Amino acid sequence: MSLLENIKQDFNQYKEQAEHDAFFETRKHAFDAFEKLGFPTIKNEEWKYTNLKPLSDILFHNTCVKSINTEALLSGSVLNTITANRLVFVNGSFNESLSNIIEKDKSIIITNIASARKKHQVIFEKHFGKYAKTETEGLNALNTALMSDGAFIHVPSNKIVEHPIVIMNVIDASEMNVLCQPRNLIIIEKQASAKVIESYISNGNNASFTNVVNEIFVDEHAQLHHYKLQRQTGESYQNNYTQLYQEANTTINQVTLTLDGTMVRNNLHFYMNGENCNSLLYGLYITSQKNHVDNHTRVDHAKPNCFSNELYKGIMKDKSTAVFNGKIMVHLDAQKTNAYQRNQNILLSDEASINTKPQLEIFADDVKCTHGATIGQLNDEQLFYLRSRGIPEHEARTMLLNAFADEIAEMIKIPELVALLEDEISNKL
Amino acid sequence: MAEELDIIDQVTQQEYKYGFTTNIEMDTAPKGLSEDIVRFISAKKNEPEWMLEWRLKAYKHWLTMDEPEWQNFKYPKINYQDIIFYAAPKEKIKLNSLNEVDPELLKTFEKLGISLTEQKRLTGVAVDAVFDSVSIATTFKDQLKEKGVIFCSISEAMHEHPELVKKYMGSVVPTTDNYFAALNSAVFSDGSFVYIPKGVRCPMELSTYFRINAENTGQFERTLIIADDDSYVSYLEGCTAPMRDEHQLHAAIVELIAHDNAEIKYSTVQNWYPGDKEGKGGIYNFVTKRGMCAGVKSKISWTQVETGSAITWKYPSCILKGDYSVGEFFSVAVTNNRQVADTGTKMIHIGKNTRSRIVSKGISAGKSHNTYRGLVKVNKKAEKARNHTQCDSMLIGDRSGAHTFPYIEINNHTAQVEHEASTSKIGEDQIFYCNQRGIGTEEAIGLIVNGFCREVLNQLPMEFAVEAQKLLAVSLEGSVG
Repeated sequence: MSLLENIKQDFNQYKEQAEHDAFFETRKHAFDAFEKLGFPTIKNEEWKYTNLKPLSDILFHNTCVKSINTEALLSGSVLNTITANRLVFVNGSFNESLSNIIEKDKSIIITNIASARKKHQVIFEKHFGKYAKTETEGLNALNTALMSDGAFIHVPSNKIVEHPIVIMNVIDASEMNVLCQPRNLIIIEKQASAKVIESYISNGNNASFTNVVNEIFVDEHAQLHHYKLQRQTGESYQNNYTQLYQEANTTINQVTLTLDGTMVRNNLHFYMNGENCNSLLYGLYITSQKNHVDNHTRVDHAKPNCFSNELYKGIMKDKSTAVFNGKIMVHLDAQKTNAYQRNQNILLSDEASINTKPQLEIFADDVKCTHGATIGQLNDEQLFYLRSRGIPEHEARTMLLNAFADEIAEMIKIPELVALLEDEISNKL
Repeated sequence: MAEELDIIDQVTQQEYKYGFTTNIEMDTAPKGLSEDIVRFISAKKNEPEWMLEWRLKAYKHWLTMDEPEWQNFKYPKINYQDIIFYAAPKEKIKLNSLNEVDPELLKTFEKLGISLTEQKRLTGVAVDAVFDSVSIATTFKDQLKEKGVIFCSISEAMHEHPELVKKYMGSVVPTTDNYFAALNSAVFSDGSFVYIPKGVRCPMELSTYFRINAENTGQFERTLIIADDDSYVSYLEGCTAPMRDEHQLHAAIVELIAHDNAEIKYSTVQNWYPGDKEGKGGIYNFVTKRGMCAGVKSKISWTQVETGSAITWKYPSCILKGDYSVGEFFSVAVTNNRQVADTGTKMIHIGKNTRSRIVSKGISAGKSHNTYRGLVKVNKKAEKARNHTQCDSMLIGDRSGAHTFPYIEINNHTAQVEHEASTSKIGEDQIFYCNQRGIGTEEAIGLIVNGFCREVLNQLPMEFAVEAQKLLAVSLEGSVG
């Protein structure tokens, strides 16, 4: 049985329950779109360097498997040590007993999508499916058609969420191949602020395919810190689509750390729909073995006077490959735009490779846009400097690599987490 | 302000200076493309059998191909059955004397400012002038012959040096390379052939002026330059075309081959008819240019100034196969009104210690779009490859677009690759600074644009640098409101 038949079967399950499910129309609509679009192939310019073919022959199970050792897995995670609101999802379904909301303000909603659909119908319907495109993105359509569950965060006007919100996704592939479709919806109303951490870890040696869609809406004068930690081990495939929609005078700080995963594809899309927006995008990818990481980012400057800054760094080891594709799109009339983009890579082995494509598309004239990409090795002079001071070569190398990587980790504005992540990065290196 | 607007009007409404038609009876093939037309062209040119077979093979492959669609612009589908694939001036012209050339033709060249006699006397440039499809005059041939340099038309080379043509033609751009290359291989009419023997430094700049004349004729040129060990050649290519209402297709191929320690410098100034203000008419310039650094320490350098054509779509590339070989690409692309340019380069690093450098300057004004698209590829075995890319765009007017699509594919960890790009508009403060010092707005923009492009213009040979600077000034002066 192929992945496509797999998916059809899963969809038919929803079909059987259609009459009890008010949501079914949305699913059906998306499924039709998916059937039309299918999986992207390397003939698609946006998927030129990432081939989903290996997925097609794996037999997946969309059924929610209860994991026995989730607790143990969680306690081993660095995220467990910080004070935070926690939403735990195991193979895409919500685990209430492991989740823990410490936020005292009851007007702030931190819950799962399935219950929000019923309890907070008005807000849900106002925002759900409004930002992530399903008509043109096959994998988004697939997620919408088969979505299991996910986080629902709503921060009302003038509220500040004191502690970070952790969306913990545990993929347990210890018993069988897992296919799951998490879907998160984050709404930050006017003058509100929050910090959200989206994390992925996995367990077991079977294959897993996690197809995530995040929709994030940030209203005027609001602020959002959004951190993504991808540390899935085993044979794990992930496609992560994140659409951030910004109104005027908002600031979003987004950090993506990809430390593990057989194949990770991130689509990060910022849309600035108002003036004076700030968008900050930072990314770090460390790849090893035969892993493949693909970061596609797109920043849409649709209105004048906005600012965006992007910095993605990568370290490639063994036979791994990495892809970076950054697009800055300055729309007609988006005058006085300042947009910066940088991609820096270090190749550590003969067989590692990197494909990078920093792109600018500019339709307005009064703009300042720059982009740059570098690929190289550790600086010999810096190495020599350290070694001449009695530091062994191996140590000197690690020191330089850590310095290179930590620049990104430090963009996470949760100090206690940064220290822990930096340890994890140096272990990885 | 009023003055500035005047300048804008002047510039944007300026008629294409080189638009005129020469009335000479043409010997043309019937419209359309078929196997018979390919045979017709081959027979017309009195080609050897192997050439015809080569063409037919290319034609058959072309039939199986689809027109590319990945480019960053749209153009109406070309009806290949509506194009005349061969046109030659009917009067036979002897190549050794300018006096025998049809005076009508000479007049045309005079209007273009490339009077052959003048050039011969004053500049010492050997010109292989191509009028539509047949070379009509080749000068300085004897002087080159002394050194052993072969500089002639491709059709001539086919008869006189078949071994060289057979060996090198299609070796850099195979007939199956892309849609337009296959088309060109099947129907190419003529072009230039250059061979520089071992150890020879070509005593003068070689140059060709291309010109499309007959209405509805596609121009399918082919240039083949071979620089043998330790040789050097600088080749200039300049183009003007008269005003036409219908789009004209130009699908040329340029192949360069540099052997050990050889250097080829290829410069282009292109100012073909860009169409009128509404984008009606103009040339489609779809060209495949590629150089092969086959030998150790060989060097190929492309310099281009692109100001004309409705659509310019080309990527002069270097395959750096020899160890220590060097590839360079310097480009200025200016678009105005509704012109489109999708241009850039490909640097393929195969040999060890290869280096490449890319400098691209795009200027877009009016409603035009200017795209830089470039590939830097370092193969697994290409140790210590080095690349530096710089691409800057300048925008004039708020309806123009500048786009950058660099592709960087690195498969060797000793590679060092840098890419930087920036986009900005002509600064009001820069113009103000000049105004303050008594320099008019018009002149100020000329200064700023020329300064912006200096790095590239400096690469051009003297004769071309002057023309290029003039062209820049003509197409852009005063376009800031």
